[in-house]
Amino acid sequence: MTKTKGKFPPVVTLNYSKGDLIIKEGDYGISIYEIISGKVGIFVQSGGTETSVAVLGPGMIVGEMAFIAGNTSTRSASARALEDCCLEVWHPAMLLNAYQKMPEVLRLIAGQALKLIVRMNKMVVELSLKQGQPMNRQTQELSDQWTEERKFFRKMVSLECIFRPVNSPKNLKFLGRIRDISKEGLQMTVKTSGLLNYTLTSGDELFISTYFTLDQKVNMTAKIAWLQKGKTGGTISFGMVFTHMDPDDRKRLGFFLMP
Amino acid sequence: MTVNSQVLGYIVSEESYSDKAVIVKEGSVGDWVYVILEGRVKIKKRISGGLLTIDTLSEGNFVGEMAMLKQSNSTRSAWAVADGPVILGVLDSVRLLQEWESQPAKIKKLISNLIQNIEKSTQKAADMIEASK
Repeated sequence: MTKTKGKFPPVVTLNYSKGDLIIKEGDYGISIYEIISGKVGIFVQSGGTETSVAVLGPGMIVGEMAFIAGNTSTRSASARALEDCCLEVWHPAMLLNAYQKMPEVLRLIAGQALKLIVRMNKMVVELSLKQGQPMNRQTQELSDQWTEERKFFRKMVSLECIFRPVNSPKNLKFLGRIRDISKEGLQMTVKTSGLLNYTLTSGDELFISTYFTLDQKVNMTAKIAWLQKGKTGGTISFGMVFTHMDPDDRKRLGFFLMP
Repeated sequence: MTVNSQVLGYIVSEESYSDKAVIVKEGSVGDWVYVILEGRVKIKKRISGGLLTIDTLSEGNFVGEMAMLKQSNSTRSAWAVADGPVILGVLDSVRLLQEWESQPAKIKKLISNLIQNIEKSTQKAADMIEASK
């Protein structure tokens, strides 16, 4: 469903499934989202864990902070669908002109509000890290959703793994490092020098094995969804979606992903 | 930080407060917006057993702007208390409100959303501090 607004990019609506990552903290992103239906959780990363700072519902806006801060800033928090969600995406070009024309006093007020929200989110993160478990009803409610959300938790890791293209000889081995992993897939970094003359291509299916703990070998088959060259050119990162895993390995992954 | 010259143009009167004087009372109704001309103002939220300081503002910063921008009601969401002697400029609220109201709906939504998130986040922090006691 699209609506065209003059020369600006159209307003589009997108559907997300429960657990989907809508915005990733640290990314460069400029779009603003209005929640049409469903709930979206805002999470900030600190000390290796993600802390919920807010749960937003229909009519609320997601991603406005990067817009107010200016287009060169990175996303200050992650947004995830806590339920199946429908979001309307506003391209900032639509708003930038209006925002720049706004009286300076209003822009200064918005800038002050932005600083305060960043501070308050930081305070919430620090408090929850210090306290471990939230205790009262309101925060309990949030942590219930957090637990739900954890089912789809993407865990940041640094796991050595070996891989080879499916249907290649069994003695072929490439070394990689898994950077994050979820029930759906993983992200891996590989030194290009170690790939010999094999070129990774989107859609390739790989057989991967790694160890979650010292004695727990896990085998997975996954398909490359996207590839990105490292800044220095010596590495390549790619995202993969699992295509096959034995039930026992899936169970191991489930335990590994538990908080 | 100095007071922006355009902001100075909105000032209709000045008010002086002595140390610890209450400028804005949490829960009261009001939509005056101030700019700090001199001194410091602490923004505090009531929690059981006291007040939690959530922000310390200085020259050029605004006080009371949240009630105007949140678009639901103009209840003050926090205390503003003088931290030492303070001189505030009272902004022309009619002009400010008019300018605010004439902004495109999406812009208003963006900013009022930011204010709502501040309130949520502040409430959450206050709840957590209470829970830890």
